[in-house]
Order: sequence, then structure tokens, then C-alpha cells
Amino acid sequence: MNGKITRVRATSAALVVAAMVAVTGCSLNEGGDTSEAGSGSGEQSAPATLRIGTTTDVENYNPLQSLSKTDSWILNATYPALLRIDRDAQKVPELAEEYTTEDGGSTVVFHLRDDFEWTDGTPVTANDVAFTAQAIMDYQLGNVAAKLTWVESIEVRDEQTVAFHLTEPYAPFAEGVGFWMRIVPEHIFSEAGDLSQFANDSDWVGAGAYILDSVTPGQRYTLKANENYPYAPEGGAAVETVEYVVYPDINTMILALRNGDIDLMGTPVPISAVASIESDENIAIESVESLGFAHLTYNVQHPVLADQAVRQALSMVVDTESIIATILQGDGQQMTGPISPIFAEYDNTELEPYPFDPAAARTLLEEAGYTDADGDGTFDDLTFEVVCDQSNANLTRVAEVVRDDAAEAGIQLDLACIERNTFLSRTRSGDYDIDLSQWGVFDNPMDQLRSTYLSSNPGGINYNLVQDPELDALVNDAATTDDHDAFVEKIKNIDAYVHDQALLTPLYVEDFRFAYRGDRFTGFDPSPSDLLGMVTGYSLSQVTTVD
Amino acid sequence: MLRYAASRLLRAILTIWIAVTVTFFLLRLLPADPTLLVVEGDMTPEMQEALRSQYGLDKPLLQQYGLYLGQLVQGNLGVSFRQLVPVTDLLLSRLPWTLLLAGSAFVLTLLIGIPLGVYAAVGRGGAVDRSVQFFGITSNALFIPSVAILLLVVFGSNLGWFPIGQAIDPDTRGLAAYASLLHHLALPLFSLVLVQLGPYALTLRTNMAEVLGEDYITSARSRGLTPRRVVWRHALRNAVLPALMLMGLQLGTLIGGAVLTETVFAYPGVGRLIFESVQQLDFPVLQGAFVVLAVTVVLANLLTDLLSMVLNPRIRT
Repeated sequence: MNGKITRVRATSAALVVAAMVAVTGCSLNEGGDTSEAGSGSGEQSAPATLRIGTTTDVENYNPLQSLSKTDSWILNATYPALLRIDRDAQKVPELAEEYTTEDGGSTVVFHLRDDFEWTDGTPVTANDVAFTAQAIMDYQLGNVAAKLTWVESIEVRDEQTVAFHLTEPYAPFAEGVGFWMRIVPEHIFSEAGDLSQFANDSDWVGAGAYILDSVTPGQRYTLKANENYPYAPEGGAAVETVEYVVYPDINTMILALRNGDIDLMGTPVPISAVASIESDENIAIESVESLGFAHLTYNVQHPVLADQAVRQALSMVVDTESIIATILQGDGQQMTGPISPIFAEYDNTELEPYPFDPAAARTLLEEAGYTDADGDGTFDDLTFEVVCDQSNANLTRVAEVVRDDAAEAGIQLDLACIERNTFLSRTRSGDYDIDLSQWGVFDNPMDQLRSTYLSSNPGGINYNLVQDPELDALVNDAATTDDHDAFVEKIKNIDAYVHDQALLTPLYVEDFRFAYRGDRFTGFDPSPSDLLGMVTGYSLSQVTTVD
Repeated sequence: MLRYAASRLLRAILTIWIAVTVTFFLLRLLPADPTLLVVEGDMTPEMQEALRSQYGLDKPLLQQYGLYLGQLVQGNLGVSFRQLVPVTDLLLSRLPWTLLLAGSAFVLTLLIGIPLGVYAAVGRGGAVDRSVQFFGITSNALFIPSVAILLLVVFGSNLGWFPIGQAIDPDTRGLAAYASLLHHLALPLFSLVLVQLGPYALTLRTNMAEVLGEDYITSARSRGLTPRRVVWRHALRNAVLPALMLMGLQLGTLIGGAVLTETVFAYPGVGRLIFESVQQLDFPVLQGAFVVLAVTVVLANLLTDLLSMVLNPRIRT
């Protein structure tokens, strides 16, 4: 009897599981994914497939409004930009072979290459560029709309020439728009109706190094090399197929790399995992600099933090060198002033960092009139809340170090390292005393200074909430300067002014480490920042296989 | 009987409405703002406002709620903020994977848990019982992500027996695809069952032990029935109902477990969709997923209620 029951139970179990497999089987590899069976089994050198680990699914396939980092990876490869950024953070030609200015900088002209082609055979022309910019302005799409604020009109002069007429000269206009704006095909997007509602989630027509080809929701994104990409090496890119595979958990992604399930991690390797990955002989690591930096920013609307002496004293309780040595394990550079050393030309190297000296900070505060009436070692008015994003492990540790050092100087820092979304909400609304965070990507110093320090707060990231007419004047003056040398000098002056005001205490420019299967691939041409890293279309097209 | 069924149905509908309402307002009470989760800073207040209006977040809260309910009763779960595609499509693309994973875990937990509980109850104090109790307590304390990463390191990475992440090898077709599907399913399924099984077997053991002490069991024994027949035919029939109901109640935990399991194993189900949507504050997707899950759990409970009504004569009258 028991045997019978067991048999019945086993049969019903098998039936149930089979039914479930069948339910799922409806979407089993038969449709949706166009990968060919049996790849890798050919005798000849099979076209290479490079698999990249990504952390989330693509949120939005519309390159005009997509906002997430992982979307950017795939869309930047599919849709060309006018300029790209090289390893040294210099803007170099991509779709535009050069740009020039006219009328004292108030007209910016892009001269396009004539050999870019959309994958349906239509040439990429100045009309596509003009259409893209106009659409972004009309629908206020994504973060590029802010870069186009100055555009009064767009003039298509011929197939390869497009001019932007600006309301006033803006020095980094070409670099900002050139780098951030992905160009879309006019003949496709003009048919799509309301572009703010256009999902663009199939039949992609691109002109970048790789074109999104198929998607298996929740699992993988397959891109194919664009045979007509002008920057591909002679004979075409060695990597014919790029597959993005989703691993939401970074530890799982590391295991997948070690096992050879993926060839490259799109996201940087956490410091804690570097040692174990480095010991694997099949894995190579490339280090790239960041286009952002970690910083403490002071809310100058706070009555006490409005005092320059207090901000300077706070800058003297931050031991940046030791933070870099211990928390970043040496993978970062110190910076002085708000301009990152990656922009070597603009960085004011004459600035001296505030010395790490809590005792001197205490003296400075006493001289400024702060007192410790109850004798508990802490100044009476000097208690501040530091908000930080708890998902950034480095910053939560920095917060603790700074809090302890500040206590020595008589400053009490209360830490509020909170969930990322809440953190963003609080910093955006100015609901904090001190903000400890890390800027993501600043591709040029002028845009950065304008976004962060102009009192009109054009980019919404004036976290200092500073309203300083002198600083406004300096920023606006530099922004309209067409002469390059004078422009550089003015940027350096702003650097010095902000440093003297101690509006922020810069902490470090992080180095990101990217891991890949060095036993299979080589020849990446990485770009600074974790947004670009090893996965730009240009870099992927330069990769070769290791025999 | 009909009245009982009707009252249960009404209660189910009420529960779903409460779940929908609570989800809606909880998401809006979050201090974070989905229009701020952009890749980088440069976004003017005007653009933010444009996004907010595009998301429908500029309308008064009650109006948003009314619109949402109106759409919901028409079976429309809305459109994802970020992906601009209908939430129903997103969920439908992920649901089969979760059904496979959580459904198989559900069935396996029953199939393994029942004999474990029964044997432990029958041989109380013996080796099997002690092992089941030890396993029950240990498995109750396990944290899915830790178990999952341990399984991945040992069986995926070190031994290389199972793939790391994903649900299927894209290069397979036909039978090979099904084999690949099961191959990928093994580790996530194992971790989910491992965590579910212990508490389940323990509760069943207690139920069974109670049933075994009842008079009708003693009388069955005294009628000379074999112990095996007494346990499996008479006792289990009465213990299996609470066992089923227990699984119905545990469905919520199972789904919570699936969120974590799917995230660590990179399994493309609804659980992972929820994880991703939380990061992006994609309200429509979160709401849609919670509605679907709430309906699933409530329906499962309704079914167990109705089942127990059919099987239990005391409720029937």
C-alpha cells in the first residue's frame, strides 16, 4: 500500500513539475532570442562573443531619455555621440571630426564625418543631429536638455555641418552636448509620435559600434557589431557579438567571471574583492580614474556653517591621505579644490590642501569666538548632522573616521548614513548640515562649477545652497570666455576661490578597477569613470581575442 | 455552505482591496522621489516637473488613487515609469519563471515535508525525530542570500556542477533547453526548499503527533489495523489538511524567499523585478507586482479555506 502511495505521490509530483516546466517552456529559447545554436563548436575561429556582467535590466531603450547607468552602456554603443572621451578625459572625435566656434563663441559648429551610416543603410547627417537636439529641447528629455539651455536656433548648413546658435557664448557647450547627446535617426524617431512616451523597444536602427539586436527580458541583451562603424580596426571588430548578462548580486557576478560564464564585469570590482580576483591567473584587471570625486559639502544656509572659519576648521579634521591609504587601499588620488586632477589643464596645482590638524582646527575655532562653556571638550554651537548614502561602503567608513577626528577638534558630527533614495531626497531638498557623497560624472570643469555653485542652481545640484554674488560673477564670466588660455585661468581662479571659502572638502578621486578574462580578450581602450569604463562601443570594437 | 463560501470570497476581495490601497499609499509616503533617480545631476526643476507630470505624480494623491483603482478594475496595471511599457507585459514575461521556481519549491516542500513530519511524529524521541527537529530549527535560522551564495561557491564555482546565475542557456533548443532549464533551476530551488522545509516539517510533526493521540486512532489500532495503515490512511488524512493550509499560509514567506533567491541567483522572475523596481522607485511596476502577489496569496488561502470546507464536515453544515 505504502509503495502504491509513494508511486502516486511521485507521479503527481512529476506531473506538477512537468506542468510548471511546460508553462515556462512557452518562452523557452524558441522566440525572443536570436542567438544561433552551437556557437563555439565550429572548427574555424568562430566569431568572438564577449559577455559582460551587468547589474540590472535595461529600464528604457529610448536614448533621448534613458537615465540609468546600465542603460547608457547599451545605448551608448548603439547610438553615436558627436564626441567621445579618451582615457585622459580629453574629448576626441566620434561622429563629429571637429567643432569650431564663430561670433565670439555664440555659434558652435560641428563638422561631421561622412562615413557614418544607420544600420538600415541611411547615412547619418547633420539633419539627424539637428532633429535630436530639437526633440530633446521640445520634450525636455533626460539630462541633455540642460546642456542645450543656451540654444536659440539650429542651422543645418549641409549634410555634414550643423551650427548651434546660442543666446550667449558658453565655453563648454560643444564638449557637453558632444559628449552627452546620443544622436538618433530622424527617419525613425520622427515617425514615433510623442518622444517622451516612445519606448523604442524593438527593431533598433543605430550607427554606433554595436547595435542592440535582441533581448531576453530579465536575462540578456545581445548586440551585434556594426560592420560600417568607421573606428573599427581594419577587417572589422574581433568581437562580433556582445552579450550583456544580468547579475543583480555583485558576488554572483564575480563568481560568474571566475567560472568563465562572463568575460568582463561592467561594474567596478569592490575593493574587498580585488585581492581574491587578482590571484586568479585567468583574470586581468584594468584601473581607470573617476570623472567624479568624493567630498564633504557644507550647507551654507546653516547659520554656523555660513562661517568660513568653521568650514575651514572642518576641512582640517579630514585626514584624506590616511583615508585613501586605508579605506581605498591606495586606489585613489587626493585633490585640492573642486577641480579633479584628471583635468590636468584646469587643476590649480598651486593650491595647498588644508593640513590635517585637529588641534589647529580647535585653535582656529577659539579665535573665531566659539566657546565650550560646559567644558565637555565640544564647542557649544558646533554640532552638525552628516548625511551619507549607506550603499557606498567607502563613504560610511569615511564618515566614521571624520566623526572621530572632528571630535578631537571639539566638533560633534552626528552621522545619518541612510538608504540611497532617502539620501538623494534629503540632499536635493537641502535637508542636511553636511553632505558626504560622491559625484558621479563631471565631464568638464565649467559645467561642474556652474551646476554646483551658481546661485540660480541651473543643474539642481548646488548642494551648498550657496548664494554668493562674487562666485556667481566669476562663474558667469568664465562661462562666456571664448579665449582658451583666459578660460583656463578663470577656471583656476574659481578653483582657488572655492578652496579658500572651503565650500567643500574634497576627499579623493577614486580609481575604479575593472576585471575581465585576460586569458580570452585583450586590447580594451577604457575611459575614465564607472559610467564608461571598459564598455564603451569604441573600446569594445578595439578588443582582440587571445589565442 | 454557500454562505460560508460567499463570506470567504467577500473577505478575499476585501483583503485584496486593502493590500492594493496600503501598497499605493505606502509607496507614496516614501521620502524619496522617483524623478530624482537620474544618472547624473544636471536636471533643472522644470525638467523634474515635466517628469513628475509624465509620471502623473503632480496630481493630488486621492485623484491618483482614484485613477489607479479605476484602471485596476479594468485589468489595467498601468505603464512602467522607466520602461514605458505596460506593467502587465513586464509581469507576464517574468511570471512563468517565478511560477516555476516558487511552484516547484511549494510542491517539493510538501512532498518531502509530509513524510519527514510523519516519520518524526511516529517515532517521537527517536533518531529521525531528533534529526528532523535539529534540521527544522537550523533551517528556520538560515538566511537565503547566505545559503544561496554558499551553494554557488561550492556547487557552482568550486565543483562546477551547476551554472552561476541565469535561467537557461540561450544556445539550447528542444529537449536540451528543458535540460538546461532544470540544470539552472536546481540550485535556486534547493536553497528555497532548504529554507522552507524545516519549519514546515516541524509544524507537521506537531500536527501529526496531536492526531496520533486522538481517540479514533486508538480505536483504529485496537481494530487490529497495521500501524502503517493507521498512520498513512487514518492519521495523515486528518493531518494533511492543516498541512495544506499551513503551506497556503506560508505562501507569503515563499514569495519573500523567491525575491531574495531570484536576486542572488540572477533568476529572471517577478521577485527580481520587484528588487529592481524598488531601486528605481518604479511605482506602477511595484504596485502591479504586489497586486499580483496579493491576489495569488489571497486566492491560495481562499482555495485552502474552500478545500477545508469540502473536506471538513463541521464547516460544511
